[in-house]
Amino acid sequence: MFLGTCVYALINSVILLLMAIGFNLTFGISGVSNFAYGAFYILSAFVTWMLINWIGIPYFLSAVLSIVFTAFVGAVMYRFILIRVRGQVLSEVIATFGIGLIILEFFRYLGFVGIEYSLPVFIDQSFVIAGTYVDMQRILIVLFSIVLILLLWLFIHHTSIGLAFRGIAQDERTALTFGIDSDWIAMLSVSIGGGLAAIAATVVVPLGTISVSEGYDVLINALAVCIIGGLGSTGGVIVASLVVGFAQRFTDTYIGSHWTMIVSLVAIFLVLVIKPSGLYGKQKELEERI
Amino acid sequence: MKKRICSLTVFLGVVSVLVSVCVTARAADPIVIGVPTSTGFVEGKEGLAVVEMAVEEINAKGGVTVGSEKRPFKVESIDIRDAAPGVPVPEALLGLEKIILDKKPAGLLVGPFRSEALLAGMDILAKYKVPMLGTIAMTPASEAKIKKDPEKYKYVFRTCLNSKYLVKYLVGIMAFVNKEFGFNKVYIMNQDVAWARATADLIKKNYFEKAGWQVVGHEAYPTGTLDFSSAMMKVRAGGAQVILPIFDMPQSGILVKQWNAMKVPALLAGFISPLAGPGAWKTFDQKIGGAVNCNFELGSAMGSPKVPQSMDFLAAYEKKYGKPMEAGHGPAPTYESVYILAEAIERAGSLDPDAIAAEIAKTDRTGVMGRIRFDEGHQAIFDMDPKESAVACVFQWTDDGNRVNVFPEAIADGNIQLPAGLKPAK
Repeated sequence: MFLGTCVYALINSVILLLMAIGFNLTFGISGVSNFAYGAFYILSAFVTWMLINWIGIPYFLSAVLSIVFTAFVGAVMYRFILIRVRGQVLSEVIATFGIGLIILEFFRYLGFVGIEYSLPVFIDQSFVIAGTYVDMQRILIVLFSIVLILLLWLFIHHTSIGLAFRGIAQDERTALTFGIDSDWIAMLSVSIGGGLAAIAATVVVPLGTISVSEGYDVLINALAVCIIGGLGSTGGVIVASLVVGFAQRFTDTYIGSHWTMIVSLVAIFLVLVIKPSGLYGKQKELEERI
Repeated sequence: MKKRICSLTVFLGVVSVLVSVCVTARAADPIVIGVPTSTGFVEGKEGLAVVEMAVEEINAKGGVTVGSEKRPFKVESIDIRDAAPGVPVPEALLGLEKIILDKKPAGLLVGPFRSEALLAGMDILAKYKVPMLGTIAMTPASEAKIKKDPEKYKYVFRTCLNSKYLVKYLVGIMAFVNKEFGFNKVYIMNQDVAWARATADLIKKNYFEKAGWQVVGHEAYPTGTLDFSSAMMKVRAGGAQVILPIFDMPQSGILVKQWNAMKVPALLAGFISPLAGPGAWKTFDQKIGGAVNCNFELGSAMGSPKVPQSMDFLAAYEKKYGKPMEAGHGPAPTYESVYILAEAIERAGSLDPDAIAAEIAKTDRTGVMGRIRFDEGHQAIFDMDPKESAVACVFQWTDDGNRVNVFPEAIADGNIQLPAGLKPAK
């Protein structure tokens, strides 16, 4: 059972990482708050479902279109709402959280409730790994995430747009002097962050059914992992995902399932007390306060 | 003189018009039925849908006779969101109070999902004297509260089953598999909410421990859990032959998928709300053959040809809404509750809440769920024979996507079959 728990803990960690990476890109790397992140995750899932079931578009094409659409919605949200409160973090948080609430509750109001709202798995098969059965969808999630993280790392460190993202997070005024259009870059980061949420939904949602309340859970998980790992640090998010993912699964197996929900909350508390900027965070203002 | 006659004529004309308008308006005054529940969840959504269906049926026949006039029903609903995780009970109760004060209903139907909300809401119902026929929350504590102060809480009724009755049906399944297949090792998994915890604890204490079963494990899962792999590994490691799940959260569909993907050699027999309706076959990729599910009331997403009203009810729902019912808890008792309320109003001859409550308590009606009567705690009586009581409905999914009733015997069309790959223990 120990090895099996390790296998599923790794998968759990990768799922958390997928959920958090887009949020980290937008909030941590570009400095733009997007608390509608969980709503984008669910929006993408429902759009994929609608394209498959109402219009009859094949699954993979529906997923791609849904990712593009969600990224577009992110860009529109920035262009018409966030741009007006840019730089005022609290206002950004309130505005985007409000938009997230509208999206999620609108789906609930329209009656998108029930098990009919589900996405099929990519390949319906199971394999034995370390003595325990693991379904192909979960294996694909791990493989997919490795590729995605590599691509994201390359994007942030070796493309002009990625460097621009980091530039405006470090010092927006200086970035402006280098000719970086901060509004354009910020809009791109919200858009790409939304796209990453949609990608996460595409691979994770087929594990169960599409549920509106999961949008709130995704936001909490993403926030927890980013705070623990350190906003702005991809490496920190990876480590935090592993810490929380393993802690949750081992708590479930060896202590009790009803304690799993507090694992991430306890981790947040400990990090905020001991190292407020997160495991790999570099926000000196927070460090200097303790 | 001419001026006086003219003024008098105009005056009389105006008075006549006013009187006729008032009479006409009074005759068309609808009786408001309130539906305060979590409409964003499938049980609440379909509960509201069946209320509207029943109201349409009643109004099509002229409405409800109150004294000497017929009045139509009118439905007013409010989403109190108590089923959503993290919503505080006081906030949910604001919705309950709002619908009472704004819409002045003659009665409320469905009610809160969470037992904590129901128990707290009972005082609001007592304060405003509004009869309520609850069809979701299942705690027996509400009955105890009614018995302790019957005068104050006489307005509160429950038409669906409570957790004690649910235990009875689940015990029936377990006793069958024990007798037929020799199974005696169980792993219990329940949602970490009051009704599921109570059900699991009751069945463990009143049956498993007394009947000599080995409880290999017992876990409570917070609402929103996304991974049940640890439990599946423990089931396999502990040699459990039966998994007893008790869940109504949407994420419990993940449990079904993991049970299948991890090829766990155990019979899944309990209550998982995503397995209740016909849509489960497609949602779970046609891989739920063998799973046994207890729908809380006959008629809620599953009927029996031995109770024709249950089949007619499901057919009427599908005809009206274009898709089959999926909620295994709530719709059937909610539908019956509309008729119970209508009949109580007619017997009372008025909309006086005390009179209506007194008449509801005297209900003896045969319908979709069987025969409905209330006990001293205002709980509908559930047992095994639909001619004598309301019944739940335990069915098993077959490998070709059908659902076969297996319990209670009065409505059973077959016995529980072991899924392929699972052998009896004797």
